[in-house]
Amino acid sequence: MTSHEGADDGADALLASLLARIAGGDEAALRALYDQTAAKLLGIILRIQRDRSLAEDVLQDVYLRIWHAAGSYVPTAGAPLSWLCAIARNRAIDGVRRRSEVTMPSGESGEAYWERLTAPGGGEDAILDRDALVACLSRLDPTQRDCVVLAYCEGWSREELAARYDRPVNTVKTWLHRTLASLKSCLETIA
Amino acid sequence: MSGGRPVGDGAGGERDLRAAEYVLGTLDARERAAFELERTVDPATEAALRAWERRLGPLTRAVPAIRPGPEIWARIAAALPSGGAGAQPEAFAGREDRPEGGRDEIASGTAGGAAANDNRLRDLARQVRFWRRAAAGAGSAAGLAAAGLALVLTGWPQPAAVPSPRSVAVVTSGGDLPALIVSVDSASGTVQVRPLAAQAPAGRSLELWYIGAGAAPRPLGLVGTEPARLALPPGTGSGAGATLAVSVEPPGGSPTGQPTGQVVYSGKLIPE
Repeated sequence: MTSHEGADDGADALLASLLARIAGGDEAALRALYDQTAAKLLGIILRIQRDRSLAEDVLQDVYLRIWHAAGSYVPTAGAPLSWLCAIARNRAIDGVRRRSEVTMPSGESGEAYWERLTAPGGGEDAILDRDALVACLSRLDPTQRDCVVLAYCEGWSREELAARYDRPVNTVKTWLHRTLASLKSCLETIA
Repeated sequence: MSGGRPVGDGAGGERDLRAAEYVLGTLDARERAAFELERTVDPATEAALRAWERRLGPLTRAVPAIRPGPEIWARIAAALPSGGAGAQPEAFAGREDRPEGGRDEIASGTAGGAAANDNRLRDLARQVRFWRRAAAGAGSAAGLAAAGLALVLTGWPQPAAVPSPRSVAVVTSGGDLPALIVSVDSASGTVQVRPLAAQAPAGRSLELWYIGAGAAPRPLGLVGTEPARLALPPGTGSGAGATLAVSVEPPGGSPTGQPTGQVVYSGKLIPE
């Protein structure tokens, strides 16, 4: 898992330097980080939250969290953008899991995500990680692959997946565990 | 198809499955709260989580970006210490980077006296507001919202042995108080604990833990109803990256030296 260390490209280096300045209380650095990353994070949050106004509340909370937590960013936690995305996803998922009434998912198919995932683009390092994941996801049964993609990108719960595929929740849980085990073993083989 | 060993094989495998489902997002609210605690106190869990974030992270590429409206930044800026005055857009070209360092360096670089103190009070009030909001969510996830627990952590530097005539009012929209204000002075090795609304469940004690970056929790002491000064365990360093957590324990504290009950709140130490 160390093969990607030291592979900072320019964007990573910029974000890391902004995080260091934010840790020092530099508000202009937070603004610059926001300008660089807010559209990406709002996209992630909105797909999971499914309601624009709630998603913007989460986005606001995420940047205030970043303001306080920037000093705890360490490169071993992943690339800066991955670290920011993880904060945004975690806040968004926490929000939907706590809500009792659930908004319907966007209705977009797993296939649409798959097409965007495999579209060309991104830095060399990101492509290596992406290609490994795509190769391993490709080996999965399409239904199980869609479960992973819809859970990760749209925040589908086990219950929502069970309803969509008309299976008991426990079956979906078993699917997910098996699928994640296959993915892990495949990614470890490739790495 | 894969001939690999199931992820859920044995105790480490169970942990890895929890980490995988946490990152995937399919744990329910209660399982997520339990995992958040586990990750705070167990470095192996944190490592499993990071590995899964890395494995699945490329999927964020499949999510289209959406530009937020201009009012969102205004709301964020209003919650910053300067109210946004220090957060004007900047031109990158020719800007000199500040030296790296914690906020304590910047604070001590400010001339001492009333102005700096006012800033600290204002910053503290803002931190309190922020942590109250953060804690409201964490508490309800753990089913403990009724206890109104929240933990406010600051790395507020202690002025050298001068008793301050100032008071701090923790002003909140609902008028309710956070559970505790904890300030850590790594220079003198002391931890000031001011219980505000902290309440232990009947017949239980609340215990405060210090968790250094990547280290096991170390007990700081019990949280009572009166302000207390506790000793920072030796070798805890500057506090950078440390977490403080409060767990519910048997009367008198954990019998094992490690948290045994539910962590009702935890948060990163904020350098001031």
